[in-house]
Amino acid sequence: MKMKKLEKWLLLEASGELSPRQLRRLGRELAVSEDARILRQELGRLRGSILLPAIEPSPWTGSRIAARLREERHPALTVTRALKPALALAACLALVAGILNFHGKQTSSASAAIVAAAGVDVWSDPLEEDMSRLESQIAAISGDSLDTMEM
Amino acid sequence: MKTTDIERTRMDQDDAKLLAAYREGDSEALGVLVEKYKRPLFGFILRFSEGREDADEVFQEVWVRAIKNMNRYRQKSLLSWLFRIAHNLMIDRVRRRKFVLSLDTPASEDGMSLGEQLAAAGLGPDSATGGRELGLRIEAAAAKLPLEQREVFWLRMQADLSFKEIAKIQKCSINTALARMQYAVSKLRKELAGEYRELQETGI
Repeated sequence: MKMKKLEKWLLLEASGELSPRQLRRLGRELAVSEDARILRQELGRLRGSILLPAIEPSPWTGSRIAARLREERHPALTVTRALKPALALAACLALVAGILNFHGKQTSSASAAIVAAAGVDVWSDPLEEDMSRLESQIAAISGDSLDTMEM
Repeated sequence: MKTTDIERTRMDQDDAKLLAAYREGDSEALGVLVEKYKRPLFGFILRFSEGREDADEVFQEVWVRAIKNMNRYRQKSLLSWLFRIAHNLMIDRVRRRKFVLSLDTPASEDGMSLGEQLAAAGLGPDSATGGRELGLRIEAAAAKLPLEQREVFWLRMQADLSFKEIAKIQKCSINTALARMQYAVSKLRKELAGEYRELQETGI
C-alpha cells in the first residue's frame, strides 16, 4: 500500500470510519510494514500531544444566551421596554398639546359663533331687501296691496 | 455497532431530551447543554477569533442561532450542528475582517498571547511534563496552516469529529476533508521536524 493511501486509511481508522473489510486489510498491512506502524504511532502521538484549551467561556455566558433567546422570543416586549422613557415623554407632550388645543378650540369656537351671527346678519340683510323689492314689484303689477293678495 | 457509536447515540438522545425540555420552558436544560459542549466548541472558536471577548460573543451567537433554527436541525449530532454554525459565522467574520490569526497576537489585557492562553493548562491524554512544550509548538505550527486545513485539523484532533461530519461542515467531499488533513499533517511534519522525530522515536 502506498504511504499516502496508508495515511488516509490510518486517519479514517482513528475516526472510526473504516469498513470492517478495510480494517482487516489495514491490519495485514500493519503486520508486515514497519513504516506503517511508525506512521500509525506518529499520528497517535501527535493527537496525544494536543493541548486542550484551558480557557472557558465566561461564567455568565449561559445566562446571557438564555436572556438573548428570551429577547428574540418577545421582541415587541423588549422594544416597548427600551422605548418606555421615550413613550412616556411622547404621552406627556401629547397631553400638553391636547390641553393647549382644547383652549385654542374654546377661543376659536367663541369667535366662530360671533362670525356666524354676523354671517346671518349679513346674509339676512339682502334677503329682506330682496323681499321688500319683490313685494313692491308685485304690488305695482297687481295694483293691490300685498295684504289684499294674502287674504 | 461500536462502543463509541453507542455512546454517541445515547448522548444524542440525551441532547434531544434536553432540547425538548428547553422548548417546554425548562431554562436549566439549556444550561446543561451549554455546559456539556462548552470546552470543545469554545476552544475551537477561540482558535479562530480575536481573543476571549470576541470568542465569547461568537459562542453566544452560535447557541442563539442553533436554538432559533432548531426546527432545521436534522443532524445526528448536536455538536456537529454547533460546529457547522460556528464555521459559518467564522467564515463570515474572516471574510469581513480579512483577519489572520496569529498566536503571538496579545489576546488579553495582561498581554498573554492567544497561544499561551490556549495552552495555559489541560493537556491531551498522552501528555507528560515535556508534552506541554511540544503541544505549544504544535499550536504555533498549526496556526500557520491555511484556514481550511487548520479547521479540519482542529475539528478532527480536538473536537473529535469524523471526516464525514467535517465534510458536512466545510461543505466538501470526505476525500477533500481527508486531503486537507493530510496536507496539514504533512506541513506540521516539516514545521516541527526535530520534535516530530521525537514523536516517532521516543513517544512522549
